[in-house]
Amino acid sequence: MNKLFLLACAVLIVGCGTPASYKDANGRELVVSLDKVNIQDFATAGAQMLQSMITSPSFSKGAPVLQLGSITNDTADNFDTALLLSKLTVPLVNAGRVTLLDNDATANAARAESGSKANVPHAEYVLKGKILEDRSNAGSTRQSSFVFQLTLVEVKRGVAVWTEEKIVTKQGSKNSVGF
Amino acid sequence: MKQILPLLALGLLAGCTTILETGDRIERGLTPPDAVNYATTKPEGGFSTQMNDNRIGNKVELLAARKSKTDGGYARVQFDLRNGSYLRQIINVSFEWLAADGSVVESQPNWIVTPLEPGALTTITATALKAQSAECRLRLISR
Repeated sequence: MNKLFLLACAVLIVGCGTPASYKDANGRELVVSLDKVNIQDFATAGAQMLQSMITSPSFSKGAPVLQLGSITNDTADNFDTALLLSKLTVPLVNAGRVTLLDNDATANAARAESGSKANVPHAEYVLKGKILEDRSNAGSTRQSSFVFQLTLVEVKRGVAVWTEEKIVTKQGSKNSVGF
Repeated sequence: MKQILPLLALGLLAGCTTILETGDRIERGLTPPDAVNYATTKPEGGFSTQMNDNRIGNKVELLAARKSKTDGGYARVQFDLRNGSYLRQIINVSFEWLAADGSVVESQPNWIVTPLEPGALTTITATALKAQSAECRLRLISR
């Protein structure tokens, strides 16, 4: 009888879990974490920054040559900053709005070797930035803000021609699913 | 007694928001799941709407859709929204761009969380990346 009871308890405990399932990466049923940047946070910040960046006069004509600079991750969370940059570069490159320079060592060496040959593109703009975080709490309510900062620098003059900051703030007492 | 009355009134006022929010939650529980609503600009000016969730339609008004061009000649649309209810509303928006023949040429697939304060006007701006993008279709869904 005792064994049967234990087995019933085990079945009940196992039954409480939610089986893994596929979700729309752009949907509203994604996990919202208080202690880390979620995939939808990169999408939100990236989409808003893209909309701001394309209104910059630098993007009004042709396809400027863009090189990706460094994006500093100044948060406690370890992630690849390409998660943010791809939200900007993928739509821009696919729409033909920028010429994106390959950033690997071979490409950089080839460009350095070519000097100032006309058919070899050289960076007109460099995109760089920083991701910061701020955490606070009141009682059991925790709040995390992730600050995404990007700056577009014109190489010729060495001046910032566009800069933007987007803040994603999440508040709650525990991680949840959905908006 | 005189000291208790203002306190009681304050307590009742503070409770109002909770009652309204509870009502909102009950309404959500009794009605079908959230549906996506659309507002699409027209070539001749103005916009058309397709409301699939009347709850959002009763609370959030779409006042105007202004079309313009950027310096580079790309389409840009501004949608003016107004929260006509007495409570803060949180909606999610995204948009798609349509070519002159109606085909979808670009989209912003992820939802952007947009809080709307009671009575406040909120402008959502969408700028096209492609030259063939002509009309903008705004997608709205409640939280």
